[in-house]
Amino acid sequence: MNLDAAAWEALILSLWVATWAMVLALPLALWVAWVLARKDFWGKGLLSALVHLPLVLPPVVTGYLLLLAFGRSAPLGRLLDNLGLGLAFHWSGAVLAAIIMGFPLMVRAMRLAIEAVDPKLEEAAATLGAPRWSVFIRVTLPLILPGILAGAVMGFAKAMGEFGATITFVANIPGQTQTLPSAIWTALQIPGGEGQALSMAALACVVALGAVLISEALARRVAARIAGLR
Amino acid sequence: MTRFSIFLIALCGLALPAKAQDGSATVFAAASLRGVLEDLAEVAPMPLTLAFGGSGTMARQVATGAPADVVILASADWMLWLVGQGTPMADAPRDVARNRLVVIAADGSAPLKQAGDLTARLAGGRLAMGQRDAVPAGSYARQWLIDAHLWDALRGQLAETDNVQAALALVARGDAPFGVVYASDALAEPAVSVVWAIPADAHDPITYPAGALSEAGAAVVDYLTSAPAQAVFARHGFAPVIQ
Repeated sequence: MNLDAAAWEALILSLWVATWAMVLALPLALWVAWVLARKDFWGKGLLSALVHLPLVLPPVVTGYLLLLAFGRSAPLGRLLDNLGLGLAFHWSGAVLAAIIMGFPLMVRAMRLAIEAVDPKLEEAAATLGAPRWSVFIRVTLPLILPGILAGAVMGFAKAMGEFGATITFVANIPGQTQTLPSAIWTALQIPGGEGQALSMAALACVVALGAVLISEALARRVAARIAGLR
Repeated sequence: MTRFSIFLIALCGLALPAKAQDGSATVFAAASLRGVLEDLAEVAPMPLTLAFGGSGTMARQVATGAPADVVILASADWMLWLVGQGTPMADAPRDVARNRLVVIAADGSAPLKQAGDLTARLAGGRLAMGQRDAVPAGSYARQWLIDAHLWDALRGQLAETDNVQAALALVARGDAPFGVVYASDALAEPAVSVVWAIPADAHDPITYPAGALSEAGAAVVDYLTSAPAQAVFARHGFAPVIQ
């Protein structure tokens, strides 16, 4: 492996961005998954379609729409920029892009887990006098924990691999917004850069495999604990 | 069953690469040549099929056997790399155009009095340019910024894009107040104006080498270096290679 400093910088930035994206998206994704799984309301189909939109839109379009909304040419972007919170060409913008791109995957995994919970279990807890938040924390949450973990890992993995929306929205600035996929793409644009690109690709594989293995191990422990509680 | 076989045979026909007839040629070219080559394709004596992309992408595709007759890159380095890969060429590569770098801003902006004014005029905004390592225009821009002693002051205020047209678009839309692009790009975009012409000796020469990969391709390169074609290049803001 002949990884230069820029490659390590890109890896650390990618891990940083993916972690933030996962942590910030998790509560919102759980809430949206809960609403979609359990509630019936006007516009539910529309909400579901909106959540899934980034899955079917070309990533470049998502990045371009973000730039139109948060660039300095837009009122919102200018306002944030003046407050020192500009998202375009900043790593925080990469977090936003990663959240939006990973959101449908997170919601999907969590929604399936919530739909698999037998509502009678929750009703039983409620008839025994448990308040609603207590039912959620003590009955529903432990049952859907594997689904939440799966969703979180999907969100993290998607954020690690996001390229199109990120490079369009926050550009490709070494040390500032150059994520691992951007760095790999950059290496491929340099004559003789293929060795560096392959080394970074191997690094990306290791991180992705590691994330999946950790989540599998966590899911097994959760499953064992739930089985033990029964 | 018969109908299905006919369908299959038709599919196979589609899959076969269309072989060049009547001197028609497929040109793989750097994205910054789009406007001028589309114009030239209308007046060229042979039919041209044009495919555009970044120089690096195009060079790698040609090296792995893309069905191109001509490859035109925005960087001498990439052409050297392509030749070094053992790509069979009908002729030695020849330059078909040259270009200049300019600093652009929103249309109607006052010109810079000197390059050093850029730092103050940016006023915290970003300087859009091609990615410093991946995009040839970005590498040339970095050479100029270092030469003008602006690199250390501005390296934290760049918006580096994956191609030079994206940098142009950022300035045209107002997402970045200034940008460094090719003179030919600036000419094609009415929403921006040139505020500083970057001296040609502040960076490596910007040339567009063309490699002919077939006999049909060699004829295209001959045409591109002819006086009528060079006049079209000049009209699009490129510097001609013949006087």
